[in-house]
Amino acid sequence: MGEPLALRAGRSGAASALAAQGGRARVRSAIGSSIAIREAVKHYGNFYAVDRISLDIEPGEFITLLGPSGSGKTTLLNLLAGFQKLDSGEILVDGKPIHHVPTHKRGFGMVFQSYALFPNMTVTQNVAFPLRMAGVDRATTERRVAETLEIMRLSEHARKSPSQMSGGQQQRVAIARAIVMRPKVVLMDEPLSALDRRLRESIQIEIRDLHQTIGSTILFVTHDQGEALTMSDRIAVLDAGKIVQVGRPLEIYRHPVNRFVASFVGESNLIEAEIVQKRGSTMTLRNRAGYVFNAESRDAIDVGRATVLVRPERIAISNEMGANSIPVTVTSAIFLGEILRIEARMESGETLLIRCTDTANRPLPVVGDRLHVNWGAEDCWVLA
Amino acid sequence: MTSASIGVQPGRFASSGLARRLTDPALLLLPAAAFLAFIYLLPLIDLIRISLGGPTWSIYFERVFAIPLYWDSLVRTMQISVTVAFLCLLFGYPTALLIHRSRGIVQILIATAIVLPYFIAILIRTYAWMVLLGRNGPVNKLLIAIGIINEPVQLLFTRGTVLLGMTAVLLPLMVLSIYSSVARLDESLTRAALASGAGPIAVFWRVLLPLTLPGMGAGFLLVFVAALGFFITPTLLGGPGDQMFAMHITQQADSVTSEGFLQALGVVLLGITLAVVAVAGRFLGFEFIWGGSKLSDAAPAKPETTGRRAGFGRRTLGTLLADLLGWPLLRLFGRLPASCGVWTVRVMGGLVIAVLTLPIIVVMIISFSSASYLTFPPPGFSLRWYETFFADSNWMLAFSNSLVVAAMSACIAVALGTAAAMGIVRSSIRGKSTIMLLLVSPVIVPPVVLGLSLYSLFLRFDLVGTIFGLAAAHAIGGLPIVVVILSAALQAVDPKLEQAAAVHGASSLTVFRTVILPAIAPGLAAAAFFAFLHSFDELVLSLFLSSAQLKTLPLMLWADVNYRLNPVLAVVSTLEVLLVVGGIVLARPVLARSREAV
Repeated sequence: MGEPLALRAGRSGAASALAAQGGRARVRSAIGSSIAIREAVKHYGNFYAVDRISLDIEPGEFITLLGPSGSGKTTLLNLLAGFQKLDSGEILVDGKPIHHVPTHKRGFGMVFQSYALFPNMTVTQNVAFPLRMAGVDRATTERRVAETLEIMRLSEHARKSPSQMSGGQQQRVAIARAIVMRPKVVLMDEPLSALDRRLRESIQIEIRDLHQTIGSTILFVTHDQGEALTMSDRIAVLDAGKIVQVGRPLEIYRHPVNRFVASFVGESNLIEAEIVQKRGSTMTLRNRAGYVFNAESRDAIDVGRATVLVRPERIAISNEMGANSIPVTVTSAIFLGEILRIEARMESGETLLIRCTDTANRPLPVVGDRLHVNWGAEDCWVLA
Repeated sequence: MTSASIGVQPGRFASSGLARRLTDPALLLLPAAAFLAFIYLLPLIDLIRISLGGPTWSIYFERVFAIPLYWDSLVRTMQISVTVAFLCLLFGYPTALLIHRSRGIVQILIATAIVLPYFIAILIRTYAWMVLLGRNGPVNKLLIAIGIINEPVQLLFTRGTVLLGMTAVLLPLMVLSIYSSVARLDESLTRAALASGAGPIAVFWRVLLPLTLPGMGAGFLLVFVAALGFFITPTLLGGPGDQMFAMHITQQADSVTSEGFLQALGVVLLGITLAVVAVAGRFLGFEFIWGGSKLSDAAPAKPETTGRRAGFGRRTLGTLLADLLGWPLLRLFGRLPASCGVWTVRVMGGLVIAVLTLPIIVVMIISFSSASYLTFPPPGFSLRWYETFFADSNWMLAFSNSLVVAAMSACIAVALGTAAAMGIVRSSIRGKSTIMLLLVSPVIVPPVVLGLSLYSLFLRFDLVGTIFGLAAAHAIGGLPIVVVILSAALQAVDPKLEQAAAVHGASSLTVFRTVILPAIAPGLAAAAFFAFLHSFDELVLSLFLSSAQLKTLPLMLWADVNYRLNPVLAVVSTLEVLLVVGGIVLARPVLARSREAV
């Protein structure tokens, strides 16, 4: 009982400090918990849903678990929430192991993909639920619920039942319920995937701002790379039960560690090439059709075959052959408004995707046009 | 239609209007409606007419309520029914949770153990209890072996056995009703409550219980209403002090002197049943009877009322109670280890499974006994009772009678029921809920009352003791089964498919043959099987409507159970169980699908 009580005390302490200050922008509650996942394993027979994952999360950090379905991200979140039990390894919150603490005593907030609002309760009752469970007195409960509803801009819906609200409103109620205790950790399980695109974008920003306001550690699970890039302090990319890469969004986007991360996060061109020469972090490569170009890499990679990542927006096109350029044939060209999306085939047979901004002096390429593409050494990245 | 041209003359307009009216799917409701009106509504109205036909309209009713025997019995019937409904709720809820929480093969096994007994005749399940609790039965043997008692004691013919038997018979109804509302819940609701700091008991109290209240209410009422009209189980398991109201009706029916008074007894039972259903329907919606969702023309949920009952502002009695009693209790229980709840569910669910399956297993074993009387465990095993059964021409005749009656009854029910289901689902007439209510209402009318009312109709048309008459009477109860299963199956067929077939040139008959029939074929098979089983098991109507020349299997069983308990009955029971198991195994994939559809 020692740890859970401590968790609870910490939580309500932070909450009452917050209550004393009140209001939105003025508030910066006590910082969230640190979380350490050590060699966590969860398997079903021979299938390892979570395969020796280790991850350190800073207090107050917004971290996203990003991966395709079946990559283990939701299982990892369920292990944290206590819905499932670890087979081996441990999870520490503020340095204390939590495996023996049942879900309802962990003191986390949680938002679900399906909202999971109690249909038999009103918005107010839903948001008040965690406070009632913690035995908070009536006056405090009412005040705290009103504050939280105001933060989530839900005050005028307080008396509605969840079934009378739109999906976006319901999810805001669910978020209000998750943060009403000012928990040190908030878990979010694909909270936006049931919403349409515009709503998703506006709630993304809302959650981001909320994180600034309440200062909790937030674990956000998603399969949407755009969402992960927009919202996170750091992203952990998962594949087949393992963490493939952890890093800041920019780092993940610019310097992915392998083909999986490169193609899962953002649009990418992956070109097979042979390493010809290496000078520090810059190397010279030759593609299959014999054209030579320069690229950057972080690791010392041996001479041999390599895969090179070039993002579509880093590719420049011109009509004449120049230095460091490769001839291509246009197979499709679509005008998307502010940009052109061009697909072109290289002589090696590989297809390149190109996104370039529309400029006045260039006509729209048509299928069959022969163009030259080029990029700087800093625009491409050799994958390990 | 072949000469139809683009320019439509006024005359054609009228005839096409008539044609349209003739092809309206609502017409498909007519055969079933006519059938029920003649064989079901008319006799019931006649019953009420006779009961009012004394010198003054109320004279028979005054007598019913003036004689202490009947008044006491009425009170007793209510008491027993309420107790049984509470017992079913108490044990049914954990069992439903157990099914919901188990996975894979375990879930299938538990569900089968609950559902299977539901389809076995009440008479046979009651007989199994008589065997189990009899003087030479396993329970007495066990108690002696443990040393609690020295010689066999009388366990049968007490109020306790009546309650036990009726609860066991009606439990599956409750479990299924609650399970369907538990299974509909989003699992993340429980998780959300846990993550909000609610312990397992708080989750149950604040989330699970309120959200499954409709299922509990429906189950409670179905059990209560069924118990009100119970006749077989209290007759066989009860003593002289456990007479239920329905039993008086059959007893009075044997004496010819009581024309009018007899009908008044039936009307009282019918009136009470209908009043309970009407009150329940006001709160739950009448859909609880057939366990379905609201039909398309039913009123949409009232958002304003739910909106007004909100917030901290108004506190209902329920929340007041929850606050005063519930919360302190919750905190107290919250200190118990979480495994307490899990073990309560397992133990009570396990008990229910044992109570439902053990008697049947014991009877099946006894059917292979070599002893000439009922005893368990059998001294040796033989097939002598099977030989006795198959060699006895009386049993064989009854068996073939039952098969013929059941087959004919199933045909009537399926033909009328399928058409009616098509009419309900595909037409756009108003009052669908009312029509559905009429179609399924035979389920709630006490069989004793139905039998009594049919008897005078059958006398008038000389149908007593005829195979067709019996089959038609059984079809009254078979019809609701068919309508419920098939309207669920039909609702699952996408109307777009029919439109697609029609656009590409299929006539409405071809659409039915090529699109609808294949889609509902599994449901049709299941409906036919259950309608067959309903008739095959039917006893109470047969008691009223059969003759000495036309004995069915349940009638033979009934006579033998009352006369001498011998292992031949166990043989019949075993065969019946095999029939049900065989049918369910064949229908299992279908059932799984139609349950999803419902």
